[in-house]
Amino acid sequence: MTSYRNGGFFNAAYHDSETLEIDRSKTHHTNPYAGGERPDEHYSTGQTGGDAAVGRVPGWREESWRESIPMGLISTHSESPSWHHDLNHSTFQIPPDSQRDQSPHVRLSSKASGHMTMRWRGITMRRMSMFPNGDPANVAFTEDAIRNEMETEEQDLVKELVALSTRDRIRAIRDLPMSFDEKKHIRSHVLAFKSSKQSRQFTCFADCTETVSLSFRRCGSSMSSARQTLELWQGVMKEIGGKFGTSVLIYFVFLKWLLMFNIFSFLVNFGFITIPLLVYDPSPNIPPNVSFSGLEILSGAGYFHYTVMYYGGYSNETLHGLMEYNMQLAYFFTTAVYMVLCGIALIFSMASSFKKNYVLADPTSNSAWQLLCSWDFSITNERAVRQRKNNLRVQLKESLSEKAQRELLTLTEELKHFGVYLGSWLLSTGLAIGCGASIYYLCQYQQQLLPADAADWSLLQEAETLLVPFVVSLVNLVVPLFYSLFNKFERYSSQRRQIYALVVRNVFLKISILAVLCYYWMNVVAKKFSCWESVVGEALYRLVIVDFLFLMLGSFFGEFLSNVIGTRLLPRLGVPEFDVARNVLELIYAQTLAWIGIYFSPLLPAIQILKFFLLFYVKKVSLVQNCQPPRRSGRAAQMQTIFIALLFFPFFVGALSMFAYTAWSLTPSEQCGPFRGLNNAFSVVGVWIDDLEEIPGSQWAVWIYENVIRSEIFYFFISLIIIVIIFIFWQVTQGRKQLIGLLRQRIVNEGKDKSFLLDKLQNLQKSQPDKKSKQKNQKKHSKRRPDDHSSSGQSNSNAMVQALLARQQLEQEDERCSSDGVPVPSDISTSSALMQAMLARQRADDQDEDKHSSSSSAFTQAVQARQRAEGRERDEHYSTGFSESPINTSSAFTQAMQARQRAEEDGADDAHDLPSSVSSVMMQVVQARERAEKEDRPPWAPAPPQNSAPAGSSALIQAMLARQQAQNEYDDGY
Amino acid sequence: MGNKQTIFTAEQLDAYQDCTYFTRKEILRLFDRYRDLAPQLVPLDYTSQPDVKLPYELIGSMPELKDNPFRQRIAEVFSEDGEGNMTLDDFLDMFSVLSEMAPRDIKAYYAFKIYDFNNDDFICKSDLEKTLNKLTRSELTEDEVRMVCEKVIDEADLDNDGRLSLEDFQHMVVRAPDFLSTFHIRI
Repeated sequence: MTSYRNGGFFNAAYHDSETLEIDRSKTHHTNPYAGGERPDEHYSTGQTGGDAAVGRVPGWREESWRESIPMGLISTHSESPSWHHDLNHSTFQIPPDSQRDQSPHVRLSSKASGHMTMRWRGITMRRMSMFPNGDPANVAFTEDAIRNEMETEEQDLVKELVALSTRDRIRAIRDLPMSFDEKKHIRSHVLAFKSSKQSRQFTCFADCTETVSLSFRRCGSSMSSARQTLELWQGVMKEIGGKFGTSVLIYFVFLKWLLMFNIFSFLVNFGFITIPLLVYDPSPNIPPNVSFSGLEILSGAGYFHYTVMYYGGYSNETLHGLMEYNMQLAYFFTTAVYMVLCGIALIFSMASSFKKNYVLADPTSNSAWQLLCSWDFSITNERAVRQRKNNLRVQLKESLSEKAQRELLTLTEELKHFGVYLGSWLLSTGLAIGCGASIYYLCQYQQQLLPADAADWSLLQEAETLLVPFVVSLVNLVVPLFYSLFNKFERYSSQRRQIYALVVRNVFLKISILAVLCYYWMNVVAKKFSCWESVVGEALYRLVIVDFLFLMLGSFFGEFLSNVIGTRLLPRLGVPEFDVARNVLELIYAQTLAWIGIYFSPLLPAIQILKFFLLFYVKKVSLVQNCQPPRRSGRAAQMQTIFIALLFFPFFVGALSMFAYTAWSLTPSEQCGPFRGLNNAFSVVGVWIDDLEEIPGSQWAVWIYENVIRSEIFYFFISLIIIVIIFIFWQVTQGRKQLIGLLRQRIVNEGKDKSFLLDKLQNLQKSQPDKKSKQKNQKKHSKRRPDDHSSSGQSNSNAMVQALLARQQLEQEDERCSSDGVPVPSDISTSSALMQAMLARQRADDQDEDKHSSSSSAFTQAVQARQRAEGRERDEHYSTGFSESPINTSSAFTQAMQARQRAEEDGADDAHDLPSSVSSVMMQVVQARERAEKEDRPPWAPAPPQNSAPAGSSALIQAMLARQQAQNEYDDGY
Repeated sequence: MGNKQTIFTAEQLDAYQDCTYFTRKEILRLFDRYRDLAPQLVPLDYTSQPDVKLPYELIGSMPELKDNPFRQRIAEVFSEDGEGNMTLDDFLDMFSVLSEMAPRDIKAYYAFKIYDFNNDDFICKSDLEKTLNKLTRSELTEDEVRMVCEKVIDEADLDNDGRLSLEDFQHMVVRAPDFLSTFHIRI
């Protein structure tokens, strides 16, 4: 990056063209301050890197220079404009062409000069920013300068892109921060480059691969557009996002995600368990006295008890159709693999979500986030925009007053808060445990009423089974309302903590209910009922159905009624907000039921799909009709991560362990289901392995089963290895954390260094009066061209523009001297132009100060000056043909500082105090350094420059030399 | 398929797909959206690359943009002339960056440009004030505006130069995971 950034300053073509462009565009400019000044500085040469080499030529050789000016460009010609024109052409045409030898058809669109790639953004942005809304001439010359530079950069970029694979290249092109036209241009360039390269190789083969890869890509993109067509609810999502913002949208995204999950699990179960059975034996073996009564849809019992809906409906036979199909194995493996796949999917989405949203999140930068990152661009509804603006205002005000509030808390208040927290936590925990216990006793009570065989249940008893799910759902609906009520009494310092407290309590409640139910099923139902898996499946079915009804009722009563109350009866309450956390927890609960039920009722996902599908529309309608956007825009992405984590950790892991316990430890019922007659469901694998032993060629499977699956040592080692890996990664993480801390500290330190150096420079400036002050005095009696003063005075506030203008005036003055032959001492013009440059910069700074802090812009200038110095030093190294520079090659900045010290010593006798300005200090640095170099220069070093010019062999260098000679002539006059 | 091919050539569509985050279908849909803004101006045949530019007034009246407080800045940043008048390419470019697929870096780059009202490549206090006024309907007192701006700079300015550079901004965006989902316009 640094090399790119500095590239421009080392590029002689850029510097020269910059100067020349000024010459061309503003030849009428002259220096209003020109007077009798000292000729000591080559400020102009300090600006142009290429000139530095010639600037080193000692004065006494100038005579011979004048005689040996190549092509007679300068000395005696009176029509100076044509001279400039020539020079422009000679410098402008050649370098770009020489650079473009590889791909002559490249043309960069200069119109979009604002868009650059990341790579040269650093330079170009800064450079462009030197000339904001400047007059067209300035813009023109920067554009040209930048274009030159960009072409070389662009070629590097193109070469880099060509080296990448097609896929990477497309991604890299897409990621370029450029306008579309530039991307397209780069792309065509890359393609052309590539095809030209390929055509040199085996043409036919390259053509073939090209066509194939192109058709593959087109196929891939049409596949992805087909996928987009299948994307569900795109329009609805857009509408919700537009009206309610991203934080509400995550509920619907989550709902959709769960729906997809269920569709997948339905396909798996239906495809591998149900379809084979139905193909083999399409009619369910229902006892003749059972008929469909309608109540089944609610209770799941009765007629459904004998269908493929539940575990009991499946046979334990090996189906003999086109091929043998072992139902036992199919049932076991489908369920097990599905659970494992779910687990993997959850872990992956959780981990990536954590990585993206949580690990990097920084809670400290709250205001910055609120102001710059929180605005939701997807909101398209006017009302929502208004509301959001209000909310943001309130939040900002709150965050401003938050600090003051916190300090006011006394000890007693804190104790009071603590007491409230404790009380509400105890109360909510007690409530959850109480609910769990009462549900357990209710279940106990109910199962005593029911006969052990489900076939004997009467219709009334069937209806009574609905009591437990009803109570469970009621608890799930009502108790969270209490929790919200508690939340109103506790005053949490931050909204996030409040939400977390609410979430934790609700999770605890739901876990305790589910745990109690599971315990009841495992320990009571499994022992009592004859076909207990189906009974559990029915219980889960009822829970799913009743939960769905309650969700509908909840959104009706919870949202519709409070909307009515809020708008009609008690306007104080206002329109309800959509409570994302509560709603998402309801979804998680519903999904957990489906997971638990997957073993007992393989087709439960079908019910779940239907449920979620309807729920989406119910919630959407309820949201649009009844709710307002949430008042506080929490960090939605983090909430989403937490939800996925919650879904995984207590809920999915709970369901998984329930399944594992059932499969490994519980005895399957003896009259029904695929595992009848076995000790546990897992032993089906053992039976299968025993069968396999008889088949030759499958010994490896048996071996794996014996030595891997069933061996404790294997698991022991696996766990050991995993623990070691976790430990190593944990250590790496700790190390990275430290590294991040250190790096951040370094950034802060560098910022401090910067400001420290700035202060130092300013202090030095104040204590040491400048030469400039002296020059200012002289200026007073030397205002020769006040008309031109206005033209430079009216230009924009940017320092660099004015500095360059001033320099141009200097050069132009030189030229005038040469063409007119007027014996104006060149020292006067040189230093006056310099001085004007400094003044211009200072003036610019003063203007800057009105708006922003000047120190930063001054520092930018200082850095620019320093870079210039470095660039020039580099040029010295390159231009050893012209002169052997004995200057040591320590950093240019050190030199500049040293030189500046010298300059200050020189000017120490000047006692005028100017208002200090960092920019002028830096100017002096450059000037003084220039002089220091001159002094260091040994008299014998430079060869006659025109002799060495052919070494450079470009017209550019010649032009520079010519101009340099012109300048040096007048220096020499002094 | 037939009428699709008359709007763009296959090469044009390939170029659009390679340079934006859109699929062929989305590009055609966006073209329809673009054309709907001014059916009499935009031809149905883009194979000859006509030079059509829709004025900002039309772009800003799109339902996706019309209530966005930054709509003018968005249009300015993405338009080639910097005044909000957009060609089809600019239009696609804009929604490509604002789409779901665009990576964080490029989003941050353009968001930075949008917040940089005076185009000086730094988000300075005046930019923050403008942002704040746009976001809060100028209802904060001057003192509060100043305090908020100071706080923002204090939090996000890593190199202590009193303004936010692109690097500062990107650093902040990395730490604000919501940014990806909020700097997003569904089309």
